[in-house]
Amino acid sequence: MDEQVGKFWDKYLTKKASRLYKKEEVLFTDKSKSLKLFYHLLGGEKGKELHITDKRSIKTSRTFLEKFSGTGKTFFLPWQEEKGIYLPATLSYFPLKQHNEMHFFWLIAMLTKVNIKSKNMRAENEKVAQFLIKKYAGFSEFYTYAHSFLISNYPELSTIDPSIEDSLVDNYPNPLWIYPSLSSNNKLLDVDDEEETLRQPDEPKKTETLVIKKKSEQIDDKKETDGLLLFLPESIMSFMEQVRVDRQENDSYDEDALYNAEDLDEITLGQKDANLSSRIKMDLDISANSVEQYPLGRGHFIDEWDYNKEVYLKKYVCIKPFISLNIEPIMLPKRLQKMMKKIQSELDLMELDRIKRDNLPYGDDINMDTWIDYKGHQNRSNHPQRFFQTYERKMRDMATLILADVSLSTEAGITQEIRVIDTIQDSLMVFAESLHRLEDRFAIYTFSSIKNTKVNFHIIKNFKEKYSDLVRGRIHAIKPGYYTRMGAAIRESAKILEKQQSGNKLLLILSDGKPNDVDRYDGRYGIEDTKKAIEEAKQKGITPFCITIDLDAKEYLPYLFGRNSYAVIRDAQKLPKLLPEIYMNLTK
Amino acid sequence: MSKTYYLPQSNEVELFKAAAGMNLPILIKGPTGCGKTRFIEAMGEELGRDVYTVVCHDDLSAADLIGRHLIDENGTYWQDGPLTKAVRNGGICYLDEIIEARKDTTVILHSLADYRRVLPIDRTGEVITAHPDFMLVVSYNPGYQNVLKGMKPSTKQRFIALSFDYPKADIEKAIILKESGVDEKIAQKLVDIAGEIRQLSDNDIQEAVSTRLLIYAAKLITKGFDPYQACIHSIVESLSDEEDVLEVLEKLISLHFTKSVHL
Repeated sequence: MDEQVGKFWDKYLTKKASRLYKKEEVLFTDKSKSLKLFYHLLGGEKGKELHITDKRSIKTSRTFLEKFSGTGKTFFLPWQEEKGIYLPATLSYFPLKQHNEMHFFWLIAMLTKVNIKSKNMRAENEKVAQFLIKKYAGFSEFYTYAHSFLISNYPELSTIDPSIEDSLVDNYPNPLWIYPSLSSNNKLLDVDDEEETLRQPDEPKKTETLVIKKKSEQIDDKKETDGLLLFLPESIMSFMEQVRVDRQENDSYDEDALYNAEDLDEITLGQKDANLSSRIKMDLDISANSVEQYPLGRGHFIDEWDYNKEVYLKKYVCIKPFISLNIEPIMLPKRLQKMMKKIQSELDLMELDRIKRDNLPYGDDINMDTWIDYKGHQNRSNHPQRFFQTYERKMRDMATLILADVSLSTEAGITQEIRVIDTIQDSLMVFAESLHRLEDRFAIYTFSSIKNTKVNFHIIKNFKEKYSDLVRGRIHAIKPGYYTRMGAAIRESAKILEKQQSGNKLLLILSDGKPNDVDRYDGRYGIEDTKKAIEEAKQKGITPFCITIDLDAKEYLPYLFGRNSYAVIRDAQKLPKLLPEIYMNLTK
Repeated sequence: MSKTYYLPQSNEVELFKAAAGMNLPILIKGPTGCGKTRFIEAMGEELGRDVYTVVCHDDLSAADLIGRHLIDENGTYWQDGPLTKAVRNGGICYLDEIIEARKDTTVILHSLADYRRVLPIDRTGEVITAHPDFMLVVSYNPGYQNVLKGMKPSTKQRFIALSFDYPKADIEKAIILKESGVDEKIAQKLVDIAGEIRQLSDNDIQEAVSTRLLIYAAKLITKGFDPYQACIHSIVESLSDEEDVLEVLEKLISLHFTKSVHL
């Protein structure tokens, strides 16, 4: 008898274990892109993110047997809340892969229509399911199949005790249904502790370090105003290092520094490039392993707009240009080379553009039109004798300045491995490569700020410098820090762009959020100053365009840039590929 | 010739007629395939005016619009361009995709588009006063973001502007029914599909499905094509080249029109 019971028990358990079709399982991660797109397609809210859900305990109407064996207690159930939607990591209820895949799409469709605030989730789910079945023939087939399959194969999922009242059916675990958020239903569902800790953002830590950093900077500033110290302590480090090298070279560093300080503006503008790059090369000869931020002079002051008083605060913001030294030149990383190949085909299309120039006194072909014109003209002596035309490769005549926001917020993670700053770096590399191949003129600067006294303006590449491995090295060395005083950075960039000779000037701003700083430069003040800076740039004949990964950007970007002058990238990981595409669209 | 079929979306017909009566030029904005050109053709018929359509491109010169000298056995002679023809004889000159034309080309429209209504031709020294029936209509698609292209504000501000969008669901359905002769159920499905695709934003897809594509699909279906196949070829493939987008669009179609071998 014992043996028989044991056999039966074993059989029962194995049956249970083999119930899910692991071989045919479909992973959420494989489908996440498609699912998100599908979610938008069916009218899901664009701000919501898709996540993987944890197991949820459900108090089911388990049979005695199930209670005994411990099954039917926790399930991966799809649910949604204000901020996002949550799906199981894998689905494998069905013996065919296509059905498991369809299951994901079904859940997405349900999610777009189910009202999570509904009091009776069972009725709501049934209502939405009926709606979907009626509207989509494909879903109708799937649902009919899935419903009967689930009932016959997973009785613990589908046995419903008729004695349970409607109000309690949230506990009815149907894999085809959508559940309300964990938090709003505490009384019914036990919230996993794990998830709680996971959801704790690590932001408090960040602000802590920021405060510390800020304090030290404030002290520096005070010292600076004494006139005793020309540089920040950190730059003195580089100063010391430099002195050693310079002695070998028999060159006076002090003079250089002074000279730099005097010519500061021009250096930011890219005029003194030869000098600069030669020095960088020299630095590279010594085997330095730490990247130094080398200040190009003491900095200079620019205005800021105070919307309260409606006046410019004259010489209010201090711009401090920096360049990274001891940079190791690097090649384009392998993963980006692949992407570059894809982009190249699109670039080729752009380069095919050739333009006809006619009315030339000499050229490749005779332009019949102008010749006939001449013949038909009553007074030929007055007619210009320009009969030729020629085809030239279109001079794109573009000058593009890329201004990247590298404030501390870019350190936030997109996924566990990738931070925002990583995609910004990748994007800058791919983009610089694209522009280089298009032979468009471009410069790259990054900025971060701590109050009005210190807006760091890092030179990655100015307009004069040739694009090289060194530029990539500098992109690679970008470190996020501090805040986003966007208006000041835009004014400085506009100043640089204004001096360029090109007919079309584009100021491309790469950002991850609203303008903000620790002082009053937050909220309305920051927005108004940035708006003013953009208006000034427009008046200078510069076209500003903002690319952001901030999903809330739709609230303030139209106000800042105008309706057609910004792009919000929802999937930050796509930024490297999208950036050149947006640019090509902009300049086609 | 049978009358061009056009189903008004809102007040555009009245507005166009009023503008025509007052000699005001019109600017039409709207995405591709939403019925801009069809509207102009229908209005031309309605008002009994010829329509001279010029599709603008970036190599379009002023001479292409105004005209040029040509040669025959007697020497050179002047040949009017489409714009000049319309100005002289009356008619609607419709410049499609005006944004594609070079900015210096569009400037020649200025004197025609305001109270002066004259067209100076510098090559012949002629200044033509526009025929009372002359009307200037331009259109462009504001969806493309572009630094280099865009209408100068000075050009833009000479026009009465009409903004077109894809027709509302019931109107679009009526259009599909009329144009393709497909049965009503399928027309409704197509409109549903379009409604869903149009919810995607510019980042997911460059431009949403046009009424024109829906009519193509409907026509293929009336010709006996499997609805699923018809939609794949007329809607899905022409909207994107990206694999994940294609996959999802295919999925959507398969939900509406099941593949013959499925499940």
